Amino acid sequence: MILDAASRDALQLSLLVACTATIVALPIALWVAWLLARGQFRGKALLSALVHLPLVLPPVVTGYLLLIGFGRAGPIGKFLYEVFGITLAFRWTGAVLAAVIMGFPLMVRAMRLAIEAVDTKLEHAAATLGASPTSVFATVTLPLITPGILAGAVMGFAKAIGEFGATITFVANIPGQTQTLPSAIYSFLQVPGGESRAIALVLWACVIAIAAVVLSEWLAQRVAKRIRGIEGDT
Amino acid sequence: MKCARHIKKLALICAALFAPVGAVRADVTVFAAASLRGAMDEIAALSDTPVTLSYAGSGTIARQIAQGAPADVVILAHPHWMDWLASNGAILPDSRVVIANNSLVVIGPKNAERITNPGEIQIRLGQGRLAMGQRDSVPAGIYAQQWLENAGLWNTLNTQLAEVENVRFALALVARGETPLGVVYNSDAQAEPKVEVVYNVPEDTHDQIRYPAAAITTEGNNFITLLTTVKASHMLKSHGFTTPKAAK
Repeated sequence: MILDAASRDALQLSLLVACTATIVALPIALWVAWLLARGQFRGKALLSALVHLPLVLPPVVTGYLLLIGFGRAGPIGKFLYEVFGITLAFRWTGAVLAAVIMGFPLMVRAMRLAIEAVDTKLEHAAATLGASPTSVFATVTLPLITPGILAGAVMGFAKAIGEFGATITFVANIPGQTQTLPSAIYSFLQVPGGESRAIALVLWACVIAIAAVVLSEWLAQRVAKRIRGIEGDT
Repeated sequence: MKCARHIKKLALICAALFAPVGAVRADVTVFAAASLRGAMDEIAALSDTPVTLSYAGSGTIARQIAQGAPADVVILAHPHWMDWLASNGAILPDSRVVIANNSLVVIGPKNAERITNPGEIQIRLGQGRLAMGQRDSVPAGIYAQQWLENAGLWNTLNTQLAEVENVRFALALVARGETPLGVVYNSDAQAEPKVEVVYNVPEDTHDQIRYPAAAITTEGNNFITLLTTVKASHMLKSHGFTTPKAAK
């Protein structure tokens, strides 16, 4: 599947955007998932609704809201530009922001379910044996929820690779700059005879998706084996 | 017994819902390029038979029709896609006609000063971007790239573009103040009161902008005839298009 320069750029950009978005979103998603699973505070339902909003809104609406919020003329965009000199609209970093927001609900869901499934008696047991809260989290909770974190990361990564509506609305479709894999496929289909270029990219998208799932399965199995190993030791 | 009566009622409702579709198929369905909205709505009102209009990008429309979408007439913003449809045998070849022409303009915010020389575009942009249709796939973007290359500006402005998937979105970006300038069709600029035409792109710097129309079914032929009437060309002109001199 030999790709021309524009397709290669799009593929590389998509991988860059998806990896960055996953790494950026992971710790925040874990924190929010923790709050939603264990927290007792007012406005929890509101937080949950806000997190899930991008899942329900049409992506083009999310993209438009990003544009009017983070664009050069928008309140947040103006602040970022004037204070830090940062522009997100029509840049690849804006594509990362769109991918983070669109993938966030999927990541939080997977992690929250994993956290809720943890037997808190195990954590209490570790605490009564003198483990500090941090070490309880690191040695008991974290290994138990790692499959959930991995599942969330894969979901977020997949969403970031496939994100189209919000991305094309917020950062446009500039070859070599903001043209991601789905925007490139869309563009190729707007040209007579562009099918073969589109199909080459579609095949690559499938390869990436399969590779991501296989990788996460492999990691999950390793984690499961290690937990079983720990149980065997004690 | 009660159940049977309900089923009968349901059947009657279904019949009422679906019957008219099959019975009255006299109306004409027109698939038109998105930039023609406005003008087409008015022209459709002239028709004796009811007209259903569906707007989308030229590429989307062409592919839908090739897949058997139930259209009687197709009007596109670029001849390439009409050639493609013709080579697929999807249109009635004799019905093909150019119904309108358009021109490119550079737009800025309301009350922006005019530009006398395209070289000033970069100064006006500053750190901002030039909104336009996507260079390879959106007809307005293809024409804009031809012009910028011809004017010797492509290499300098290349990194300052905001290429979007639809020319109306480029218009919206300028109207919202997200980008200081944009390249759109003259007809688009007429439709948006929040923008000002700052430069008229010379028409000899890019391929002629033509809107080809064709009938797909014989029912569509009447609408093609309507499109070439004086009344229709007046409406196209009032929306910022020009019409081919051959128009009857």
